[in-house]
Amino acid sequence: MVLLKNLHPPTEGVRHEQAETTAVLDGQRLGCGTLYVAETRLSWFDSSGLGFSLEYPSIGLHAISRDVSAYPQEHLYVMVNGKLNKENEAEMAEKAADDDDDGSSDGGDDDEDEGAITEIRFVPSDKAALESMFSAMCECQALHPDPEDDDSDNDFEGEEYDVEEAEAEHGHADIPTFYTCDEGLSALTQEGQATLERLEGMLAESVAQQYHMAGVRTEETKAEFEDGMEVDTAAMEAGQFEDADVEHCRLTVRHKQLHLKIAVQ
Amino acid sequence: ECFKKKKKQPTATLTVQLTLACVSAPQLFYSFFKSLVGKDVVVELKNDLSICGTLHSVDQYLNIKLTDISVTDPEKYPHMLSVKNCFIRGSVVRYVQLPADEVDTQLLQDAARKEAMQQKQ
Repeated sequence: MVLLKNLHPPTEGVRHEQAETTAVLDGQRLGCGTLYVAETRLSWFDSSGLGFSLEYPSIGLHAISRDVSAYPQEHLYVMVNGKLNKENEAEMAEKAADDDDDGSSDGGDDDEDEGAITEIRFVPSDKAALESMFSAMCECQALHPDPEDDDSDNDFEGEEYDVEEAEAEHGHADIPTFYTCDEGLSALTQEGQATLERLEGMLAESVAQQYHMAGVRTEETKAEFEDGMEVDTAAMEAGQFEDADVEHCRLTVRHKQLHLKIAVQ
Repeated sequence: ECFKKKKKQPTATLTVQLTLACVSAPQLFYSFFKSLVGKDVVVELKNDLSICGTLHSVDQYLNIKLTDISVTDPEKYPHMLSVKNCFIRGSVVRYVQLPADEVDTQLLQDAARKEAMQQKQ
């Protein structure tokens, strides 16, 4: 039996309110109540006023589930990072998401297991409301981007590259100050803005082309990848992979830098 | 890890590190992902869940909406089986796997280099 806290439903910024909604937390039915999709947080309360709330940064994914053969009722599926503790649900989830390591966290969620998730299903009696519930959550998620924080990238596994080192070795200056997305556009110089527009234009026009390897910038590497594959730098000569079938690519943001990994046959 | 799941083993992994610091990196990503809308991708989350789907939309925070999704490891994540569309918070994404023929890597390299040079000025 999950202990629910006696909290107050939000009164402001409620984008969607859905009564007669059953909450199921990690398979455990919490009963029927009201879901509040508010700008500040997502919360649910039953008729006696007990409930829980979730911070949007802790919600990794949400979706509408319609396949009744997989789950008997249509519902809103929500995946929360970390495990919800009886005592401290929202806080725990947020700590797990932030991968915070100053001191030990309450309730001992010490495994810091990035794989630990909590699955919540909100089953409204009115299935037609699912689209609105989903959209309201999307909108509210967009209101809570992660703060601009270098440390937030630390939970990438391993040190694939020491990008600062690579930068230094290639004679680049210190990495410039980072701007948030919001500030960034206004901080762009006129030239920077022109470049951005050009980039957007270039990218929009790009079509699938034969993969050319000319001009590949080879990195220093004894870099090991998280899957343990080492790169044979000798093979990375220009033109070596012209005829290669590229298996797939991976694009990731790390330390505010763009890493593109391409696996070739 | 994702390579192990593939049927064919790639013979080499080529990493193109596009060093692109500061303000335009998120913008470049946003532009890049916008150009991929409609393509099939695999999003790998930091909690190891991988989701295949069609990229429906992306926002400036790289929150991703996928349609027609399937989970690459349904035994581990059975609860996702009934889901067709989803919204993924950008901050929980570890990787986005792209079909290589959808990526103009040369263009991306050029774009990133030019942008990096621009930013150095």
